[in-house]
Amino acid sequence: MSETAVVIVRSFIAFFTLLIFTRFLGKQQISQLTFFEYVLGITIGSIAGTLSVDLSSRAWPHWVGLFVWTFTVFVMQKISLKWPKASKYLTGKPAIVIMNGKIMEETMKNMRYTIPDLLEQLREKNIFDLNQVAFAVLENNGQLSVLLKPEYQPVTRGDLHLPPQNETLNTEIIIAGKLIPEKLKKIGKDEKWLLKELNKQGIKKYEEVFLAVYNPVHSTLYIDKYKDKIKKPQENPY
Amino acid sequence: MGKIIYYTSIIIILSLFVFILNSGDIAKKPWNREDDFEFYAESLHKNLKSENWIEAKKDLISLKKAWKKTVKRIQYSVEKDEINAINVNLARLTGYIENKDKSAGLAEIHEIQEHWHNLNN
Repeated sequence: MSETAVVIVRSFIAFFTLLIFTRFLGKQQISQLTFFEYVLGITIGSIAGTLSVDLSSRAWPHWVGLFVWTFTVFVMQKISLKWPKASKYLTGKPAIVIMNGKIMEETMKNMRYTIPDLLEQLREKNIFDLNQVAFAVLENNGQLSVLLKPEYQPVTRGDLHLPPQNETLNTEIIIAGKLIPEKLKKIGKDEKWLLKELNKQGIKKYEEVFLAVYNPVHSTLYIDKYKDKIKKPQENPY
Repeated sequence: MGKIIYYTSIIIILSLFVFILNSGDIAKKPWNREDDFEFYAESLHKNLKSENWIEAKKDLISLKKAWKKTVKRIQYSVEKDEINAINVNLARLTGYIENKDKSAGLAEIHEIQEHWHNLNN
């Protein structure tokens, strides 16, 4: 018995079966997965791994297991899509952890959600002061949605009755010390202009630049050098 | 049209996988007399019973050859442990036939036939 040949054939089968089955399940992103779906993913992956290399058992039962788990997830997805009420029981419902600026201790306790978790997720949303928060909702996928109090909400152009401004994507001209000539041409500039802009910041060679990005709307160039001049980094309070 | 080809190829691939993973029963069947494992096992069984040691030795050699050929075909769909068990049985049977030990030899051939039956089941 050639173990290598058997593992190659079984791995090939496991790989393409997993590929077909996961494509069948759709394009839900990892960040959108609930904890249960995350565990399902691990289980399906684990079965595929066993199918591939566990020669002490037949491959067929593992393949059937893979099929059944994928099919069950598929059925659950269909149920959730067709009956939103069932979805509430299958995937849970979002929990309000801050209501009108007040922390809902009981809800947090039920969700096994701690204060450090809450503060961390608020910081991820650039909120460092709890006074700014009107509502915070813990979504099924574990992400926190936050509604700021009106006085802390950013002003929009609409609030100031200003006309809308066009925004376009920035263009990278230098990446990791290498000039991208076609991008430079695309923004209608030449190397002479670029060297002049770099000279203004004391840069003589492209190799000194880690990233250079051009914004066509504001006609600004963002430059980051390999050598950063930060004398004293701020202490980490966490 | 493209969608039909896409889904047809997926069905064909999955069917092929199902076939390979269940090919043990088909692969167990002999392609010619040389790899007819069941035939030589049965013949060896009879010769052991009648203590016909010369014929038993010949059957054992043929049985080992047949097993070597069959295992190449069935290895993708059966348990490695069952294959190893038959390998061990054949090694022990060689010793018993050399020693002309009828009862141990018969027990061993029965076990081989049982393992053979359990392959892919």
